Amino acid sequence: MWVDLIITLVKIFFILGVTVAFFAPILTWVERKQSALMQDRIGANRADILGFTALGLFHIIADALKMFTKEDFIPDGANKVLHTIAPIIALVPALLTFAVVPFGGQYTLFGKEVNLVISDLDVGLLFVFAIASLATYGYVIAGWSSNNNWSLLGAMRTASQMISYEVTMGLTIIGVLMVYGTMRLPEIGAAQEDFLRWGFFLQPLGFIMFFTASIAENKRIPFDAPEAESELVAGYFTEYSGIKFGMFFMAEFIEMVTIGAIMTILFFGAWHIPFLTTATLLSWFDFLGTTGSNLVVMLIHVGVFFAKVVLFIWIPMIVRWTLPRFRYDQIMNLGWKILLPLSLANILVTGLVILALN
Amino acid sequence: MAYYVNRNIKMTWWERSYIPEILKGLLLTSRRFFYNLFGFLPFFLGTEKDRRIFTVYYPEEQVQYPIAYRGRPVLAQNEDGMPACVACGLCEIACPAYCIHIEPAEDSGKQNQYERWPEVFTIDYAICIFCGNCEEACPEEAIFMSDDCEISMLDRKKMLYTKEQLLVPVADLQKRIEFTRNMYAKWNY
Repeated sequence: MWVDLIITLVKIFFILGVTVAFFAPILTWVERKQSALMQDRIGANRADILGFTALGLFHIIADALKMFTKEDFIPDGANKVLHTIAPIIALVPALLTFAVVPFGGQYTLFGKEVNLVISDLDVGLLFVFAIASLATYGYVIAGWSSNNNWSLLGAMRTASQMISYEVTMGLTIIGVLMVYGTMRLPEIGAAQEDFLRWGFFLQPLGFIMFFTASIAENKRIPFDAPEAESELVAGYFTEYSGIKFGMFFMAEFIEMVTIGAIMTILFFGAWHIPFLTTATLLSWFDFLGTTGSNLVVMLIHVGVFFAKVVLFIWIPMIVRWTLPRFRYDQIMNLGWKILLPLSLANILVTGLVILALN
Repeated sequence: MAYYVNRNIKMTWWERSYIPEILKGLLLTSRRFFYNLFGFLPFFLGTEKDRRIFTVYYPEEQVQYPIAYRGRPVLAQNEDGMPACVACGLCEIACPAYCIHIEPAEDSGKQNQYERWPEVFTIDYAICIFCGNCEEACPEEAIFMSDDCEISMLDRKKMLYTKEQLLVPVADLQKRIEFTRNMYAKWNY
């Protein structure tokens, strides 16, 4: 019993450490450096400690210090309570979704089955989407409580965009559910051991639509109408400063990691290496004994999983720095008139194929 | 209601399907990304002297400006320490912004003595527009545009450079002198 508790705690600390302490800060740096490279610039390199700039990595520390020490400003006429809890409501769901995200398979360590997921829920996928859509409340409350026209407009745009694209997202994953026949994320991951049974090959259209909808859900360019700088200053978090602004910022980056992880699990073979089954890997490291080989394979799988997540963070970033923002009516047209019918057609075709194969 | 602008652009079916064009754009940007990413490497590893990409880390690295560049005007200083200027005042007149102020001094002009030289020669860089007319007007090859453009100050009064600050040994200006000779000879002055 104690062992289970300790294992769970270790997993929680690992996933929180990876997302909050590693991915979220490093992504702020990656975004600046990547855009700089794409535009023939150099990017952040001014912050230095004793003359060392470390490729601009110290900007992360500088940013964090700045956000912690800035004045926490609440505008006149704002609803103080809601204004304060809005960033929390936005940030917590982004972290909560990791409770059901598996970052590895099942391994036998010291005679004990270790499942690399914090909570193996029967309705894991549903849980992810239920919790992730709670974040919308945070954004809407933030916009409403700020007593600012831009914030309110941004919040309304957020709400309508999230609702529009969540429909597409929900319908695309139905295709995945039909193929794999389960809602448990670890089982979906385990089912993709064979390279040709990756979700990307079974649901190519679903993947493209899920990818598009996920960028829209993340409110990133080209779907960043909710926080369009040139139109709405900063959208729903116009009136935020200090660490509350930082929380919105962090929520955005953690959501990127979440979306990347979900996309990896559903469509890109989770922690599996193409053409390399777990059994083969285990047999390679057989000389280390059961625990040793399992440990090595576990580390490889976790590494592979996060490498894939990084890939799915990199691609949206390339998209973000390549395409211009869509006009608001174009976003709605794309969501309701193109993606929704296509996702319905995707379900139909998937169902027909499954029926024909059985 | 969205406002529609007729731009008279006829798009083919291929372009209107949008996804191939998006992929083309993504290919372009990611190609730049990888080119620049690996363009840095040979420099940092020390195998190449220059970076393959042309962006410079400005204050640490500086670009060699072309010789035709017009930075702040400076005074040529002869080998014996005196300015080449004879305080004729032509640059003062040629200056469209009136930033030059000259007060001449003179001596007998006998052997080993200068006949005329500026006692006071100031240029107010806060007013100077870097047009190069003073250089063009000078009959004695005494005032030249240098390649120095970093003349920002915290106090406007410090922008007023005196004669001692303006003097630059004539040996350092050889390239610019040659350039001006070619340049103004071409225009047949």
